[in-house]
Amino acid sequence: MTTSGISRRGALRMFGIGALGVAGAGALGACAPSGASTSSNGGDTKSKNFDFTSWSLNEEAAKPSIEKIIAAWEKAEKSKIRAVSYPYNEYLSQLTLKLGGGETTGAVHLDIAWLAAVAQMGKLADLGSVAVDAGYTDVALESGKYDGKQYGLPWNTGSIGVIANAKLLEKAGIKKHPTTVEEFEAALRELKGLGGGVVPYAAATKVAQLKDIFPWMQTFGCELLDGAKVTIGDDASIDAVTWYKKLHDEKLIAADVDRFDARALFGQGKAAFYDDAIIGKGVTAAQSKDKTLADAMQPMKRPVLTAGDTPQALLWGGVIAVVKGKGQDAATEFALHTTTDQATVAQYFAERALPPSTKAGLIDPKVVNDTFSTQWTEKITKTATGSPFWQFAQNAQIEEAVAKQVQAVLVGKSKPKDAMKQAGEEVAALIKR
Amino acid sequence: MTSTTSTPLSRTDTLRPATTSAGRTSRRRIRKDLLRSRIAAWIAVVVIGAFGLLPVYWLLATALSSPESTFQFPPKLIPTDLTFSNFTALAENDQLIKYLVNSLIVASITAVLSVVVATYMGYSFSKFRYRGRRSLMHLVLASQMFPQALLLVTLYAVFSSFGLLNTYTALVLSFTTFTMPLCVWMLKGIFDTIPDALLEAASIDGASRWRTLHSIVAPLAAPGMIAAGLFAFVRGWNDFIFAVTLADKEKQTLPPGLVSTYIGEFQTAWPELMAASLVVSVPVVIAFMFLQRYLVGGMTAGSVKS
Amino acid sequence: MSTAAPPQKAAPPRERTGGRLSNGAFALLLTAPGLALFAAIIIYPLLSALFTGFFKQDLRLPGREFVGLENFTYWLDGDFLTILKQTLVFTVGATIVPFVLGFALALALNSGLKGSGFLRGLFLFPWVIPGVVVSFLWMWIFNANYGVLNGILMKAGVIEESISWLGQPTTAMLAVIITKTWASFPWMMVMLLAGLQTVPKELHEAASMDGAGSIRRFFAVTWPQVRGVASIVLLLEFIWNFQHFDTIYVLTGGGPAGSTETFATAVYQTAFKGFDIGRATALGGLWMLLLLVLVVVYLRITERKGDAR
Repeated sequence: MTTSGISRRGALRMFGIGALGVAGAGALGACAPSGASTSSNGGDTKSKNFDFTSWSLNEEAAKPSIEKIIAAWEKAEKSKIRAVSYPYNEYLSQLTLKLGGGETTGAVHLDIAWLAAVAQMGKLADLGSVAVDAGYTDVALESGKYDGKQYGLPWNTGSIGVIANAKLLEKAGIKKHPTTVEEFEAALRELKGLGGGVVPYAAATKVAQLKDIFPWMQTFGCELLDGAKVTIGDDASIDAVTWYKKLHDEKLIAADVDRFDARALFGQGKAAFYDDAIIGKGVTAAQSKDKTLADAMQPMKRPVLTAGDTPQALLWGGVIAVVKGKGQDAATEFALHTTTDQATVAQYFAERALPPSTKAGLIDPKVVNDTFSTQWTEKITKTATGSPFWQFAQNAQIEEAVAKQVQAVLVGKSKPKDAMKQAGEEVAALIKR
Repeated sequence: MTSTTSTPLSRTDTLRPATTSAGRTSRRRIRKDLLRSRIAAWIAVVVIGAFGLLPVYWLLATALSSPESTFQFPPKLIPTDLTFSNFTALAENDQLIKYLVNSLIVASITAVLSVVVATYMGYSFSKFRYRGRRSLMHLVLASQMFPQALLLVTLYAVFSSFGLLNTYTALVLSFTTFTMPLCVWMLKGIFDTIPDALLEAASIDGASRWRTLHSIVAPLAAPGMIAAGLFAFVRGWNDFIFAVTLADKEKQTLPPGLVSTYIGEFQTAWPELMAASLVVSVPVVIAFMFLQRYLVGGMTAGSVKS
Repeated sequence: MSTAAPPQKAAPPRERTGGRLSNGAFALLLTAPGLALFAAIIIYPLLSALFTGFFKQDLRLPGREFVGLENFTYWLDGDFLTILKQTLVFTVGATIVPFVLGFALALALNSGLKGSGFLRGLFLFPWVIPGVVVSFLWMWIFNANYGVLNGILMKAGVIEESISWLGQPTTAMLAVIITKTWASFPWMMVMLLAGLQTVPKELHEAASMDGAGSIRRFFAVTWPQVRGVASIVLLLEFIWNFQHFDTIYVLTGGGPAGSTETFATAVYQTAFKGFDIGRATALGGLWMLLLLVLVVVYLRITERKGDAR
């Protein structure tokens, strides 16, 4: 059946021509999908109804509290809020895609680490005039800024820091929180000595949260970014990773740990320290059998290299941004109300333990009476700073590039020096792109 | 070379020992042989069964335990403090029912659409000879290997410009990208088993080509069409990335729905996730238990050559 | 491949009575809806995406810049071979392992065990539990710190310390393959079982009489009968695994240190986590090119076979 061969070849040729034609069409059409940002979404900015996009709107744990806020607003304003949500891990990608396509309007909940990436798309409204007299703390206001403009109204402002289990420390005979890296390491060894599968420090070792190593790099003296120069790859960063690897090899920290795992370990009383945001306390305590654990959880200043250094901590929190166009005005009002209305803020804190962003909110009895929160603010948030990489749209890639290199060191695929050199180069390349 | 029109075999006939006119010695040998293969069979069933079913057990056990006991290590293999709260909580979660309904609707429409379109295409591939047929066939087959993430970027833009985002249409069309090729390919195999003589006879009797296809060929291929539809259903039922991107909460299907409900920013609700997954899977498992004979019959009819 | 159906089957109703259309036109008409759909939702998006591979483009920003082959060389100078290797390891592993398990189970269930019908139904569970949930279930089982696998192994005294299954390059790949195996061996088993049931009993009996042992009987009687089904399930599973995404994405996200990254996860992560559409589509393009080579080779082989006949 030789004819089939000929006909096939003929057909392939035909198909080739056809494909060229389609490719041409594709070239024309391709501009539309990618550059579809012509839409300033032109909708009615005065519309009372608007969308609110937040990952928390679907999560079992968070949904009721937010739905309450929405329902109250709808009732008071006689308007309709359409709730939109994506899974947390896909949130930024999905939001980006949909914002680019003009699909997302109204108010948008953002992690402060994502603000720059989203703001750069040029679709968010400048809320500077609204924010200025709303009573936010300075740190909070700062967390909603990108390129000098107020793109986000801070909703919750906290930090990621170290939480210690006082009971375990006591058991290991550690009288006070270690303040230097050296003391910290000694404490970890003591804790390891307790046996029973204790992971002294449930530090992040999975790529997803390995960005937790940044504060440690800073602790060792690496600035991460000096002006426009990436300093990852300098001696301090290598020292930090070498130290992390040492902890890993001595099983003072464990492999394959992310934030969820860390909380689980801590909840079982198997970890004495771990990094978390302030909200972690409630989550961790809730999944622990030991009902006294909550009382044993203490915020701790991150140990420093030499006594007297400033403890490092990462700013953490959420803001509400508003997309220009349809429903913009009402969404702005809603964002302001949600983040500043005293009763709303206090209630939200009571339900979710997320620290408010306003000065008045912080001195609300509900907040003040929570010693863990006040201690946290004092010991951790006070010296917390944002990551220098947040200003770049490529932040997620930067964090991942570094995380992958650190992980390569941990699993023994690479040496600290080579890995950090490469991480530095990758980050520099990413910033330039 | 004639192709068989083997009717779909579905019953699990047991293989009875050979007791025909065989000599005593060989009968004993056969019995010993049989015993040995029985033992081997049991070992296989137990080992592979453990691999297959223990995780299902663990799913159930987790679904029945409280959040506090979920993170214990070493884990209790037999949960002691059983709780049904994870299941009762589901009844109050009408969003989950919405996801389930969406999933069923979208996967079913996808299956039907794919099968209808694929029937014509598969028939054409099987019963006619023309230029480009083979290239097309292989293109269709190979298209199952195309990167979905790549399609997604453009499909999103296309659906967006047609205002189809957040509709069942968008989900169905996007699922069709991977179900249609499979169905075409399966159905072509089925049609290959239908003897040409039958078509010729129909044509001699004066049946038009459409009539031949619709009233003679299609009924014969029905088990195959059902099988192809079931495969398409499962593939659609399982999809995550298209569903998460192209639909919002109202139209979202189970996979992204489950993930966004239980895998959160701060915690993973393992017991609830497992309970929900179990509950939504049960109806489909039951449906498949009834339909599996088609699955099997339709799929093998095209491939078992004599 | 059994679909490369007998090409010289007595030509189907070529001269037709009735119909106004020629056979060719009729055949084309039949494919029209499928082709239209195919062109609209597969070919067009694909070509349009591939075209983007020559541009530097950010998913979030309008506009793009022609950069020639830069995106392609980025992969070829970088991770392309590693990703290709890992994709193949995963694809082959996740095809062969479930096949072997599925076949063994099918043989066992076919030997007349009581309750095999029920068992067969039960085994469908892993297949219809939504794929992402399967991945989460196994993630939960493999968890280094509170996973049940480590729990069992420790209780049995096989290991003394928790193993970080998903945290080490070799075990992570293994874990991914096992998870995918669990989800796909049931349907392979069902298919193969159906194939086995078409084997006439008499053949086995006759072979037994002739004194053939069970292994010889397997190769002489059983295998030739199920070869068709076997090649179908293998081919389909291979194709599906080649672009499989969910399991790896959920379980390891391509880690640790990139050791389970495959084409599917790399394209997705580059496009949707890195927003780098240009590079993502370039990798997709390389992947397609590779496929094209495979298909051409495949066609060459089948064509030669056809000529010989």
